[in-house]
Amino acid sequence: MDKTRRLSRFLDPKVLASIASMEIRARSVVEGAIEGLHKSPFKGFNVEFAEYRSYVPGDPIRDIDWKVFARTDKYYIKEHEEETNLSGYLIIDTSGSMSFKGDGAAFSKLEYAATLAASLAFLMLKQQDSVGLVTFADGVRKIVRPKSGMGHLKGICRELEATEPTGATDIGETLDRVAETMRKRGLLIMFSDLMDSAEAIIAKARQLRTRRHEIVLFHVLDRQELTFPFEDTILFRDLEDRSEIVADAYALRREYLRRVQHLVTTFQSALRRAGIDYLLADTSRPIEASLRQFFTRRMAGGIRVA
Amino acid sequence: MLTFGHPLFLTGLLTAAVPIWLHLYYRRTPVPKDFPSLRLIRLSVEAVVRRLKLRNWLLLALRLLVLLLLVLGLARPYLGSTFGSLAHTGAPAAFVVILDNSLSMGVTHQGISLFNSAKAKALEILERMGPYDKASVALLHDPGTLLFTQLSWDKQDLKEAVRNAPLSYSGTNLPGVLQAAVKLVAPVRSYKRAVYLITDMTSVAWKPLLESGDVLGRIDPGIELVLIPVGDGSPPNLAVAEVSLDQPLVMKGRPATVWVTVANHGDRARTTRLSLLVDGDKKQEMPLEVPARGRQRVKVPVTFPAEGMVAVTAQLPADALPHDDVRYLAVQVLPPQKVLIVKPPAERDGTPSRDDLFLRFALNPLNRREGATFLVESREPEEALSLRLADYTAVYLVNQRQLPEPLVGRLIDYVLGGGYCVIFLGSRTDPEWYNAHLLDAPGGRHLLPARLFKRVGNAVSKAIAYQLTDLDLGHPAFSLFATEGNGDPRRAHVWEFFQVQPNPGALVLARMSHGLPGLVEERRGQGKVLLVAFSADTSWTNWPLKPTFLPFLHQSLAGMLGRRGLRGEAIRPGMPVSMVVQQEDLQKVTLVPPQGPPVELPIRREGGGEGLLHFSTTRTELPGFYRLLLEGKEGTRTEAFTVNPPPEESDLERIPMQKIPRFRPVTHRAGSATTLGEKVQEVREGKDISRFLLWLLLAAALAETIVANRPSGLRAEARA
Repeated sequence: MDKTRRLSRFLDPKVLASIASMEIRARSVVEGAIEGLHKSPFKGFNVEFAEYRSYVPGDPIRDIDWKVFARTDKYYIKEHEEETNLSGYLIIDTSGSMSFKGDGAAFSKLEYAATLAASLAFLMLKQQDSVGLVTFADGVRKIVRPKSGMGHLKGICRELEATEPTGATDIGETLDRVAETMRKRGLLIMFSDLMDSAEAIIAKARQLRTRRHEIVLFHVLDRQELTFPFEDTILFRDLEDRSEIVADAYALRREYLRRVQHLVTTFQSALRRAGIDYLLADTSRPIEASLRQFFTRRMAGGIRVA
Repeated sequence: MLTFGHPLFLTGLLTAAVPIWLHLYYRRTPVPKDFPSLRLIRLSVEAVVRRLKLRNWLLLALRLLVLLLLVLGLARPYLGSTFGSLAHTGAPAAFVVILDNSLSMGVTHQGISLFNSAKAKALEILERMGPYDKASVALLHDPGTLLFTQLSWDKQDLKEAVRNAPLSYSGTNLPGVLQAAVKLVAPVRSYKRAVYLITDMTSVAWKPLLESGDVLGRIDPGIELVLIPVGDGSPPNLAVAEVSLDQPLVMKGRPATVWVTVANHGDRARTTRLSLLVDGDKKQEMPLEVPARGRQRVKVPVTFPAEGMVAVTAQLPADALPHDDVRYLAVQVLPPQKVLIVKPPAERDGTPSRDDLFLRFALNPLNRREGATFLVESREPEEALSLRLADYTAVYLVNQRQLPEPLVGRLIDYVLGGGYCVIFLGSRTDPEWYNAHLLDAPGGRHLLPARLFKRVGNAVSKAIAYQLTDLDLGHPAFSLFATEGNGDPRRAHVWEFFQVQPNPGALVLARMSHGLPGLVEERRGQGKVLLVAFSADTSWTNWPLKPTFLPFLHQSLAGMLGRRGLRGEAIRPGMPVSMVVQQEDLQKVTLVPPQGPPVELPIRREGGGEGLLHFSTTRTELPGFYRLLLEGKEGTRTEAFTVNPPPEESDLERIPMQKIPRFRPVTHRAGSATTLGEKVQEVREGKDISRFLLWLLLAAALAETIVANRPSGLRAEARA
């Protein structure tokens, strides 16, 4: 009962109902092909050996190559060239800044991102795609290997539930690790407030993009971060490093908003030029609205690919 | 200086602490707020923090200003009174009004007389006198006059003195008059003490004061020095700056040259006409161009047909300052001057002495009776006894062994009365007799300027030739030789001469080449004695054969004549003139001024029993030609002098107000809303600025509202 409740915390039935008719369309890069919905240039399961890679939790035990284990005393997974379905990673920023929940907001940024991620996982699993999960802050915290089947949803939601927002943000290092883990082309959906160097984020995302991964980036920001509605002299405390600064909020507002706008515009233009989907997720908006915006964009992009 | 009518209100200044406390309080109690990341906030703070601080400080300053202005306004401040604690106490005033009546105040520019304007301002200041105030009036001319030597309460008397104050033709004595005025008010410390100076601000008047060290700094700071300028700008002005002769002696019927210098004190070159008048008759008129801020010197040839004192006047057309457009020179036109040479007696065989030959030739080369400058008579000592020495310009004693005792006494009297005696020594000279009778005579009556000793050199063998050195080129006898090309007496040779020791008061005009005195001169009474240590003929020296001998004799005589009597001396207006004469029969001295009736001057007999008479006058205020008629039993002699304004007064350039320290300027133009009296009252009591401060308070409050509410306005915009 508790598990169901916890699960439902991120699987809002209303949300799921509102997007139930939607389908995730991968772009041309996604090599999954199942039931004719996903275009695949490959033949089928386990056709040809590709390489060995280290075992990560979540990998099926049966895929461990025991012969190699017998020789090296290490767990290696035997990979093959061909994957059957769309394989996607949901990458969630769990740094301290994601714990921010503005006055009057329904969700903290992490809760909002986790809900979005769970919803998308549900939908992807529903259409036979495999979904993995990566949580990170100042480094990768947890990697759940992509799996298909609705049973995997429970594992993802458990992981999301267990995550506590803390620490600083290092997106670059995380994306490096994800790239190492994800040898084949796939779909990366990242949820973060991007409180890191914009140049580094953009550079890493471009790097991943050159490996032909499809990338979607949800820039999760609270309403207060976007409007800076403060007026008094305020002692601001950083949720990541606990540093403090006293400032006249009103006097600061114009400059702050200019910088936020500039940051969003920078991400928007730079990432879109690189073929990366960038979506600004305002936590004050209903989650279904953000998902709908995501799918609208994907479908529009799918016209090009299909 | 700021003083207050209600100083108790100043305690309200403590309320200034309130906004400071609020400022500090609100600065230190911010509302805490968690925020995802301060990265963007930090970047924004860096950009706006300077602007933010400025605004906060501006707000604080405006709030403090509002409080300050409110408190100050209520305390009723008065600005400008230097009387400190005496201000607003009803203490009476003690002041001196210095009225500039120097020549430059005689300017009439655009129909306005500066001096009359200055008088009107002085009257206005005096009109403001309260019943317990006391004052004095001083005139700024040189040497200056304190019209009331004690501070007076009588306003009418003071005003009358200002009304009757005359314009002077002299310069200014600002340091002297100012110090006298300050000295008058300095002791009355319970009064509001002030000195009001009403002047045309000419640079020349201020220069002595500003260059005389820290005179102004030493004045009691409790005495307010108020400067009230009159006039506006410096009108162009031409002036006759100098009239002079280029020769020491002017002889009757002989051409002379008068030099006239015209100064242009304007910024543009000017063309004018210069007239030269002799005793009122126009002799010359000539056009003249004078460069801007420059001078033009012209020479005018004049021949004076008659002897006596003659008035020469150089005149320009009248301009803004007419008093300096005319300048006077008194010229004494001389008849040929009689010179007596006392030569040695004839030899036993009756052969006359020829020691005087070169002297006679040098003084009257052609031995003319008409047209000569000097008429020379050569007499032996016995013959000279019968002569009246006063008739002679100079007496030359040539190579005398001894002189008759009566002649010695008369010679001494002659010199004391202004005569000129020149003593040449020679082979006949008996030094012991000279020292005993001409130097060491009882009663201190001596003639010889130096003691004689032994003879030096040998004129027979001419083994050693001495030369004259160390000439006193500043002396009239040798000044001519200072100019190159006029010859050099040092080229003459002297083979033999007397070693002499000059008297303590004597001057050595020349030395022999080994350092012993050669020519020694001593002033005795009104006259002078010149001792030449060698001969007047060629027996001991070849100087009489040299071309420099003649000009030496003439120049030394001219120098002596040039200082006899007044000789047309130029006097500044108001300066005293005095004269000492030796004229036993002098009965009456009359001064004939350029305007007004003649005045008889009192005669005072000088001590010492030398028959010297002294008279003086200070009635020299007016520029012009003054005659002195000296009436004796044997007739009337005329002396003359001229009074001319100081040429520097013609420069009307004004000194900028900023260059004058310590004085507080109070400017006032005719027709302005505030009278000079009111302005002076402001100086005394200060200007009430409370109304001004309240207006300022309103402005500051408005500014504070705008600055403080500007964010609110923007918030409203943002919300909309």
